Amino acid sequence: MWLKLAGGVLVLVVCSWVGFQLAARCSGRPQHIRQMVSCLGSLKSYITYASMPLHEALMQCTQGIYGPIADFFHHTAELLEGNGGLSPQQAINTVLGDMQGQLMLKQPELEILSILGANLGQMNRQEQGNYLTMIIEQLEKFEGEAARLRDLNTKMYRYLGICGGLAIVILLV
Amino acid sequence: MGLDILFKIAGVGILVSVFHTALKQAGKEDMAHLCTLAGFTIVLLWVVQLLGQLFNTVQDVFKLF
Repeated sequence: MWLKLAGGVLVLVVCSWVGFQLAARCSGRPQHIRQMVSCLGSLKSYITYASMPLHEALMQCTQGIYGPIADFFHHTAELLEGNGGLSPQQAINTVLGDMQGQLMLKQPELEILSILGANLGQMNRQEQGNYLTMIIEQLEKFEGEAARLRDLNTKMYRYLGICGGLAIVILLV
Repeated sequence: MGLDILFKIAGVGILVSVFHTALKQAGKEDMAHLCTLAGFTIVLLWVVQLLGQLFNTVQDVFKLF
């Protein structure tokens, strides 16, 4: 009897935890996109107005931002600084591969970042500024969409986690 | 058998209704219907087993072969 009860509680706790994790992942995506937009805005200023080298600009643009997005820019900057032969696209793709589990970004944002890497540092300052403006606009659109999905899905994942656990317990008992 | 199975069926019914509401609010009507269908199937399996037991009992009681 007690073993069944303990098992049931354990299943319920684990399923609820999975549901809450999925909900947190869902609610973390708009936040990460917002931080990315903020960093890219700073990066644009550092490139167009301060004419800073790319690795320094990448390092500086995360001021005031913490967490995986700041780490993404820092690691990219470190790779660019450390490996002279590495292109920005290669550096960004390497860091995206390394940080796959930490960044709560989905395929469209990852594709945009990869394309950003292909064009970063390849044109003059004005063109890079225009390109970054375009990227920021696209990311803002994705942020709106992600916020809408967050409002819809966060509650659903929590309910599904808890109720799924209860359903499993009922079916197994 | 007892009342266990009745409480189980009631529990599944309540959970399926919560699933349905949560999925419908998230705009996933197709998944909500699928979930309801899954719950219905599970309960139907239990009920069919019980009906089988009932018919066997009736056969035994009235010696129907």
